This record gives sequence, C-alpha cells and structure tokens, in this order.
Amino acid sequence: MFEPEEELIGRVVRQLRRPVAIDAGLDARVMEQIARLPARRTAGPVRAVWRWLIRPRAIRLSPLGALAIAAVFVAVVLWRPDRPSSPAPASARAFGFVVVAPRAATVSLVGDFNDWDAARTPMQRTRTGESVWTAVIPLTPGRYRYAFLVDGVAWLADPTAPAARDDEFGAPSSVVTVGGS
Amino acid sequence: MGIHSVGTSDVEAVRRVLGGDTDAYATLVARYRDRLARYAVHMLGNREDAEEALQDAFVRAYRSLERCDDGARFGAWLYGILVNRCRTTGARAAKRGRVFVRDEAALNGVAHPSAAEQTEGEDVVRWALARLTPEYREAFLLKHVEDLEYEEMAQLTGAGVSALKMRVKRAREQLQAILREAERV
Repeated sequence: MFEPEEELIGRVVRQLRRPVAIDAGLDARVMEQIARLPARRTAGPVRAVWRWLIRPRAIRLSPLGALAIAAVFVAVVLWRPDRPSSPAPASARAFGFVVVAPRAATVSLVGDFNDWDAARTPMQRTRTGESVWTAVIPLTPGRYRYAFLVDGVAWLADPTAPAARDDEFGAPSSVVTVGGS
Repeated sequence: MGIHSVGTSDVEAVRRVLGGDTDAYATLVARYRDRLARYAVHMLGNREDAEEALQDAFVRAYRSLERCDDGARFGAWLYGILVNRCRTTGARAAKRGRVFVRDEAALNGVAHPSAAEQTEGEDVVRWALARLTPEYREAFLLKHVEDLEYEEMAQLTGAGVSALKMRVKRAREQLQAILREAERV
C-alpha cells in the first residue's frame, strides 16, 4: 500500500530542506576574489542622485491610479491657457478692429485667427465710459472671417466690413482680407 | 516563507558596500550562503559544481550591486543570479555528460537528527530528483523546498506563472511515479 501523494511529497520536501555541507572556506574565497577586484568607486552626492535618476524602476499602479494619471494627461493636452499668443511671424501686420457697443460690458474679437476663442482677444474701450471698443492683432496675409462677441452671448458682425458668405456657424460674421507686402 | 528581506540589515549592508565598505559584503555572504548552497547542491547534484556556482553568484552580485534596485530585496535579487548560474552550470555539465553525479560528502556531510534518517531514503529522494528535467527540478525546488510564491518564481526564472504551476505539478507526478517504482524493486 503506497502512502498518499501529499505525504510522499511532504517526506521528500523534509529531506531536501535539511542543510547541506559545503566547504567552510567558501566565504573567505568569495571575499578574497572581491578584494582583488578594482576598488568600487564610492558614490558622491551628485553621482548618487544621478544613479537614482537613471535607475529603472517597476511602478505598481492601481487601475484607478492609472485612470487618474490618464485624466491629468488629457487635461494638460487639452488645456489652452489664456496666455499671450505666440510671437507673430515676420510677415504679420498689425490690424485694428473697431466696434461701437455702448451698452456692452465686455466685447471679444473672435475669428479664424484665434480659433473663435472669446478668451484670447478681449477688446478694450478706447476710454472709460466710451462706447468704442478696439483690438489690434498681428495678421499674416490671408482671408479671415471674424465677428464680435458682446457680453459673451451676442454675436455681432462688423458693420463696416463685408459679410462672410460662407458662414457655417449660423451666426453673423464678417470677412477681412490681409494682403501681402 | 519566500525570499523576504531581513528588515533594514540588508539595506544597510548594501548601502555600506556601495559606499566602499567591502567588508560589509561578508555579512551578506554569511547570511545567504547556507540557503543558496542547499539550492545549488540539489539543483546541480554535486558539491563541486554547487560551490563554484555559489561563489560565482556572490562575486557577480558584488560586481553589479549598483543594479540591485532595492537593498531590501537583495536576497531575491541574489537568488535570481544563482538560479541563472545553476542553469549555465547544469547545461555545461550536461554537455560534458556529467549530469547529477551524487556527492555523498556534500549531501550527507552534516549532522542529521538521527543516523537512521540519512540512509537509503535520502539517497532515493536525491536519485529521483536527479531524474527530473532541469526545468521541473528547478520549479519543484523553488516551490516546495525554498517555499517561494509563484510570482517570486516567475521573477527569478522568467517563466510564466501558469508554466511554473504546470512544471511543479509534473515534477510532483514524476517524483511520485519514480519513488513508487523504486519501492517496488
């Protein structure tokens, strides 16, 4: 009659777990061999920091943590800060826009040149209490559609400029053509 | 059990060695020698090859200690070096046609609880172990003798957890068959 598998394997394991004898001089041989190696370069603070920076690491991340990082990444990619526009190319020319809006609290210039983003080109009153609003922006040669956004809700075409015929937004807009020099 | 760190001691020893204190490495050698020796002797089947593999593993670990990402996991990292070293030595021995030559001096050279227990039974166990393929023997030793988790074994061996479970299962089956056959004769 054979013993059950678990008992048989248990007996094998108990025997194999017993210590084995090896040469007592092994430690000394290891240390002698190490002593013959070139001296280890000690790590100064800069070298230690550099080593810490370049050392690859396995990062354990929960699915929730991964989602949070992905969300932050997407937010950074999509975020467009309200910062001054990038330097205008050499061919750009300053172009002034003027509109009269006596009762407006805010007016923004929106158009192809600023991706119709009301936050990027706020217009300024010419003087406190005046009804004339202006904005000067650099434009390179080309054809641009534009409009004024009053108080953030009302679209207003430029009464002094041709109306844009290819209006695809359903809101009134104007067109300006900037010629080359 | 697994290859757990021994608290801050390994971290401190590794830090001191990296700082230029070579003698601190002796602490790590003494700490891990016996356990690693047991694995190497059972894996390779003779003391000479096991000692060579063990010494080489310790020296390699010292030379590349900067690559040990976490001093607290020095033991596991060192174990991985030895596992690879045993594979190389085993393959070389196989080419020489010297696969698992029993070394009585190594395997019976320590004081066992009773003389009666270190007789035929142990010889048969070692003989049976030697008849397994290196992959099965490695998996069986790491799982059952060194008591590692499958995830730790996967890190050490580079094999997948499913493959390791299969190897351990087959190793158990084969050991059982070999030992029962031996009991018949």
